[in-house]
Amino acid sequence: MAQAIDVQGKLRVGPSPHIRSKRTSAWVMDQVIIAMIPPVIAATYFFGWWVLGMIIISTTTAVASEYLYQKLTYKPTTIHDHSAALTGMLIGLSLPVTAPIWMIVFGSVFAIVIVKQLGGGIGRNYFNPAVAARVVTKAFFTPWLANWVLPGGLFGSGYRGVDAVATATPLEFIGDGMRVVPEGAVPDFFELFMGFNLGGNIGETSKLAILIGMLYLIFRRVINPKIPILFIVTTFVTMGLWSSFNFEFMMTHALTGTLFFGATYMATDYSSGSLTPEGKTVFAIGCGLLTAFFRITLDHPGGVGYSILIMNALAPFIDSKLMPRIYGHKSRPQTKFNRQSTNHI
Amino acid sequence: MHFSFMGKQGGSHPEENKSRTSKLPIVDASVPKIMVFPVAMHIGAPAKPVVEIGDQVKAGQIIAEEGGFVSAHVYSSVSGEVIGLEKRPTVGGEADSIIIKNDYQYTKADPIVEPGHSHEMSKDDILSTVRKAGIVGMGGATFPTAVKLSPPPGMTIDTLIINGAECEPYSTSDHRVMVEHADEIIDGINLSRKLFPQLKKIYIGIEDNKPDAIKKMKEAAAEFDDISVRPLKSMYPQGSEKNLIQNLAGREVPPGGLPAEVRCVVANTSTIRSVYRACEYGEPLIERIVSVSGTPVKEPKNLRVKIGTPMDSLIDDCGGFAEVPGKVFGGGPMMGKTVSDLGVPIIKGTTAVTVLTPEEAHIGEEQDCIMCAECIHVCPVSLQPILISEAFERGNIEKAKELGAMDCIECGNCSFICPSKIPLLENIRSAKAAIKQKEEK
Repeated sequence: MAQAIDVQGKLRVGPSPHIRSKRTSAWVMDQVIIAMIPPVIAATYFFGWWVLGMIIISTTTAVASEYLYQKLTYKPTTIHDHSAALTGMLIGLSLPVTAPIWMIVFGSVFAIVIVKQLGGGIGRNYFNPAVAARVVTKAFFTPWLANWVLPGGLFGSGYRGVDAVATATPLEFIGDGMRVVPEGAVPDFFELFMGFNLGGNIGETSKLAILIGMLYLIFRRVINPKIPILFIVTTFVTMGLWSSFNFEFMMTHALTGTLFFGATYMATDYSSGSLTPEGKTVFAIGCGLLTAFFRITLDHPGGVGYSILIMNALAPFIDSKLMPRIYGHKSRPQTKFNRQSTNHI
Repeated sequence: MHFSFMGKQGGSHPEENKSRTSKLPIVDASVPKIMVFPVAMHIGAPAKPVVEIGDQVKAGQIIAEEGGFVSAHVYSSVSGEVIGLEKRPTVGGEADSIIIKNDYQYTKADPIVEPGHSHEMSKDDILSTVRKAGIVGMGGATFPTAVKLSPPPGMTIDTLIINGAECEPYSTSDHRVMVEHADEIIDGINLSRKLFPQLKKIYIGIEDNKPDAIKKMKEAAAEFDDISVRPLKSMYPQGSEKNLIQNLAGREVPPGGLPAEVRCVVANTSTIRSVYRACEYGEPLIERIVSVSGTPVKEPKNLRVKIGTPMDSLIDDCGGFAEVPGKVFGGGPMMGKTVSDLGVPIIKGTTAVTVLTPEEAHIGEEQDCIMCAECIHVCPVSLQPILISEAFERGNIEKAKELGAMDCIECGNCSFICPSKIPLLENIRSAKAAIKQKEEK
């Protein structure tokens, strides 16, 4: 053999395909974490330095509880896939700046241990851990969470926004059967979009920041664009039908509450969402319709969270009804498959 | 950025890596002293050797005859002496082979038909010549072409599809054949018209990453109204038979069925060219174009290779290795087969020799599925690979079957795209094998 490099006995063999895309699970999770940086920056700008403290607490707690749970139950640790960090960060961003530390810790532990790990671990949980934790926290600890404050600015607000001015969230004025926006009750569209003068959970105030994150995730092909777009548009249009197309009412609904945040970072979660292409469409539209329904009927915020959880529960059924038609076949596969059963590893 | 709003893409975009060879003209490969001819370089029954050790053979002389209806003759590509009839490593494992010592005289055997009369040939003449020439699908499938070109009785063919997609990364052999031999491809198409009297439309499908091939084929096909050169989106596996039929003719082959059932025949560009050369020049299939590429290859090339040439001779022609190779395979990185020995010969279906560095061939550690649904997104036949894989891992063969395991075309997109590096295609292959085993019982 003439070639200088001797290869005899050194060549590896194996089944095709022989190349793999560069994308790894951790990379995918990292992209979502990167996409949450704009809301973190916006939140810090509006609500002060304590925002960073909240996010550090929620993220550290989430990673630590996943690690400890897996150690205690003799399971392989999966913190290196960065999904626990992602969940923790989401929880931090979905609480108000006034949330006490114990509540942040509770939210993260609940999300990771109860919802994610007891739900089967990565890729198996029926419910989005961050959304479930948020809804449960809200249900149990409303007194500590309902004291919304106006943003005090980067240096204007201290630990837990103590010096800030108490306010109400705009949803309290436009939900519960309302069909118009009461005069002067909510900030104007520009303020709602930018997040000025808006109380609420820290991550969801600036729609601009969320939009940047959403576009990043779409551009990176991490999320399917139809999920956030259909979610938001469905809520928008349904609110139009409800209010006889009162544009101000529709726009205010689109730009308030958790809609943008939930549609971008929560409804797009892989394991709790739909798997099939058509299932994703139904999932997103379902989230939008339910959000509109809850906003019309409830007198308190939280519709987006309930909607996502309900659609999470329905996703496996949607998927089993909407399995793609296989090439050359006349109908969809006639079978059921529970993908959420326990991990094999 | 590749983007599909409905979330159904049906293909993936591995790095093409074709630029090192796509502009290089085809050059002759050197011919080594020892040539190896496996008797089974096609799908179907192995050919039966008709030479003995010590026999003198000429270039273009038959050395093994077809072993059945679905089979193909094997010809020597050199003149010399038969020095062995033994098992040798080939692409796809050890196989009975005829070993010939090249005498470098290139004494030619008589052509298989009298040259220059292809235009006078009848349907039966063409089919018998194709059979006699030992032509098989040269895109890698190696199905005997004479069988493919004679559809079962009662089936009419109205659409002929010429596959110039060449969607495998690195491979540029079909590309160069189209650029340099467009006329012979069109001549082959015109010959095959006689085989299908009801033929209405001929499509030549070429991925749009080969604008020069599209241009040449369009020029060559300009005077024929029924030949349509169709640029296809560059996306793997655009060249799969089922997907070409869907994208060009708008039809879907029924499960487990033949393209003829939807009135289509698909042939590779090099195959149709060989049909022409067999009929016009009386040439049996003894050489083919092979692209040799990959990072460790010093000077990648498109080579005109005599069938039976061991791979190491091709690597030498390309200046050897610049760095240590990790994996070498016949074909491209998505569907090619690995070899453990560079003495493996080029056979009729070897489109390319691709070499990867150990890093490029590295498959990361398997992790839990994160349900990203990318495998569903990229499957060209709309399967849900992760579900089939899991059904198999849970031992539920029946479920794997219901989910369509048997419809898998084994393109490898699911394994390629998986961020958790789950061996999806391996599991699906195992599921298919288990289903077949169960059904045979």
